[in-house]
Amino acid sequence: MKLSKDKLADFLAAIPGKTVFGPQLSGETLRFTPVTRPGNLCPTVNNATVPPKSVVFPQTETMFRFEQGATDIRTAEPSGETVLFGVRPCDARAMSIVDNVFFWDVDDPYYLIRRTNSALVGLACLDPCVNCFCTSMGGGPASTEGLDILLTDLGESYLLEVLTGKGEMLCQSAEKLLSQASSADKEAAKMLQEKAAAQISRQIDPSGIPARLPALWESPIWEKISASCLGCGICTYLCPTCHCFDMQDETEGEESRRYRTWDSCMFSEYTLHASGHNPRPTRRERTRNRINHKFSYFVDKFKVMACVGCGRCINLCPVNIDILDILSQVGEQAL
Amino acid sequence: MLDLDKLRALAKETISRDDIKYLIGWRQGTYGFRTSPHFVGNLEDAEQLIFSPLCSSNLATYLTLAEKRPVPRGAQPDTRRVAIMVKGCDSRAVVQQLVEQGIKRESVYVIGCPCEGIIDRRKLEEKVPHTLERVEARWENGKIILDLPAGRAAFPRDEIVAGKCLTCRYPNPVIADVTVGEDVEVRGSAGFEDINWLEVKNAQERWAFWRDKVNSCIRCYSCRNVCPMCYCAECILDKLNPAWIQRSVNVSENTAFQLARAFHLAGRCIECGECERVCPVEIPLSHLNRKLVKEVSEQFAFTPGIDPEAKPLLAGYRPNDREAFIL
Amino acid sequence: MNTHPYKPNIATVQDTWYETFGDRCIKTFKVVFDDEEVRDNWTHLPGQCAMIGILGTGESMISISCSPTEGKFLRFSVMRAGKVTKALHELEAGDKMTVRGPYGNTFPVDEWKGKNIITIGGGIGQAPLRPIIEYVRAKKSEYGDLTVVYGARTSADLCFKGEFSELAKVENTSCRLSIDAKEEDWPHYVGFVPALLMEINPSPENTIAITCGPPIMINFVLQNLKKLNFPDDQIYTTLENRMKCGIGKCGRCNAGNLYVCKDGPVFSYAMLKNVPEAFA
Repeated sequence: MKLSKDKLADFLAAIPGKTVFGPQLSGETLRFTPVTRPGNLCPTVNNATVPPKSVVFPQTETMFRFEQGATDIRTAEPSGETVLFGVRPCDARAMSIVDNVFFWDVDDPYYLIRRTNSALVGLACLDPCVNCFCTSMGGGPASTEGLDILLTDLGESYLLEVLTGKGEMLCQSAEKLLSQASSADKEAAKMLQEKAAAQISRQIDPSGIPARLPALWESPIWEKISASCLGCGICTYLCPTCHCFDMQDETEGEESRRYRTWDSCMFSEYTLHASGHNPRPTRRERTRNRINHKFSYFVDKFKVMACVGCGRCINLCPVNIDILDILSQVGEQAL
Repeated sequence: MLDLDKLRALAKETISRDDIKYLIGWRQGTYGFRTSPHFVGNLEDAEQLIFSPLCSSNLATYLTLAEKRPVPRGAQPDTRRVAIMVKGCDSRAVVQQLVEQGIKRESVYVIGCPCEGIIDRRKLEEKVPHTLERVEARWENGKIILDLPAGRAAFPRDEIVAGKCLTCRYPNPVIADVTVGEDVEVRGSAGFEDINWLEVKNAQERWAFWRDKVNSCIRCYSCRNVCPMCYCAECILDKLNPAWIQRSVNVSENTAFQLARAFHLAGRCIECGECERVCPVEIPLSHLNRKLVKEVSEQFAFTPGIDPEAKPLLAGYRPNDREAFIL
Repeated sequence: MNTHPYKPNIATVQDTWYETFGDRCIKTFKVVFDDEEVRDNWTHLPGQCAMIGILGTGESMISISCSPTEGKFLRFSVMRAGKVTKALHELEAGDKMTVRGPYGNTFPVDEWKGKNIITIGGGIGQAPLRPIIEYVRAKKSEYGDLTVVYGARTSADLCFKGEFSELAKVENTSCRLSIDAKEEDWPHYVGFVPALLMEINPSPENTIAITCGPPIMINFVLQNLKKLNFPDDQIYTTLENRMKCGIGKCGRCNAGNLYVCKDGPVFSYAMLKNVPEAFA
């Protein structure tokens, strides 16, 4: 099907009872926020700095509330349905990867509710950035994994592919706004998608990495790679597959709550014991752990690498620590 | 103009010395306009050293960031010096760290690099799309030249350098054991016109401006970690007992964080602008810090990071210090 | 019935006492769930832990140091170390604490039937060993010999002091205590636990060795167990790490590819010897 761009606002307005999130400027930053005016959407610029994981896994989330001194605990389940509009295929794949953790054995109730009540309307990437490498990680600029609908920008309109039952239901309310896509439209979309995939210049073959990492545990490469690391949280917070969190209690006046908030394995106190002992005392151990977690431990547990090649960590690391450079070193280092 | 061969020869000579542990400089990055801090431990590493308008990182932060591993029993601690390449602003960080006794003079060997201004990557990316091919840059006759894949591009310096470079009064390192290249002229003027546009706003307008910015903060702490002056063994932000600032991310806690950091830098910030450069959500942190630099300059006639013999401003007082702000 | 994985239950401290004193003192709490249904439906096995804490302060993962055979209560022995444990130490009988769990895997108590068990503990490390000791004691006829080796720096630093003389009376059970330096009125071994282990010279034949204690003690005990020819899959320990969620989601407690909260805290040496972070 086809959706004319001048009907986009109506399409979004037609979605009943759901909050639509889309990439919009918040300050100077592109991130997924509730859409009040479709004109504010910026879906065709580079991918949002803060990935859409922030909608189903908010940076700070109340878990439950209570009063000081009392024992009545009121859990704070999220409510409401959402549609995430303009999700790039890499970020959608990433959400499916993160699902593994939050549904492992025990369902995380907050994530479960937000995730099952969200629909993902994807936008194919037609102009990958210099550091995108999704095609090396099992994805692609038009990958449908994890999406309910995939849009491809044809210029005046979007080619609209329904991928799941959820996607179908979204289109039902906007049936009249959609038109038939011709085979020329589909051809055009296909060509644009192929052109985009061909544009991706950074490539790597990651298949051998999980097997190599254990033998490189004491390798000098970790010291070298981590020497310039500042130990900040940019790579982890902006990574669509990172999911670590902290849990804290806070009180304001009479009201208290337990909340969870994003945390980073790159912070020095991440693994600090109350005794003062830290099993990962320096940036070397933490960098080594991060790479091993994404490309070895996650593979052991969930059979998939926790990296979708979105390139954010490369673009935003202040000291140009480059994950593709790290993976090449892992690939080339003598075992 | 800087002679790269001379720089690399100096570096090789330096790390061959018995009293030098390693050298910190810059090398070309992994793509486009990037450069990265480079830790030189041998002659081969030294071959990759560069110094260009793309060398934005303030390497002085590594002097206090490098973890000190426990010395194995019976072994002696390694007291050799760290050689470090510094631009003008970076050298002020080294001086301020010396003033505060965060580092010892005999533990560093300072290689001064007079600097004509560093490219602001965001300003550059507005003019030139980012490339995968690595790009070299240099200063030439008041312009900044980039060797792009499409050809040579020249930009007037003032159009493309970081805001901090436009007001820079210390382009030549204020401390150095050896200097590479020639001294350059001081371009920045005294005064704080760069923050006038904020100063003329009233309190409500200023709060609206900062509230909007602080709302974007994702508490990645990159600004704190990159800052050469933030090196407390236990940062107030990480303290849980008591939790002065909560870990929840919202305007209230974010404001507390930004203000606490700005005030902890009062009289110490040496205006290297790294905080603003690294911020992934583009909060104009330099302006906040410049405001405090202005207050310190006007209230106490003090400029940090210039004189290694100076006392830290807030560690003492003079009987004739202004008191108008004390109620 | 509470099935929300993060929502804790409320329990009341029935009794509490100090095991040791000083800055890093250890206090034991005997707690009972307020909710009758929770009390009746709670099951756990030796080795498992629970997240205990105080609303408004936080939680800490502490091993459950009683066996389910002892009764419908839970025991926790907590060392006063950080924010949460300091707050826990303020609790007295009648006060409330939050408890959720049980988390983690268990000592393979069924697999070990008919085998001899030797526990080797140091300091607070005796807390995760106590439940398996009490479990085996309660079902003594199903197990072989029980040997409890336990040491601390001084006699004042030993936990569960009053329990060993009774324990030694159980059939085919022996207790060997030790302290680092001579003390007046100390009739037992003086020296380090790993050395005492060599003196006992246990046979690995049909025997499981479980060790918990300070890292340096574990290091030497493992070395000595290997000298005594204990196979890797007959040596067990428990690991601990900073934890928050307790259910394998927050990401922080991993030692290599093992999550201590889910794949552990009970591990055999066979599982750990190729995991360098296990002994970090």
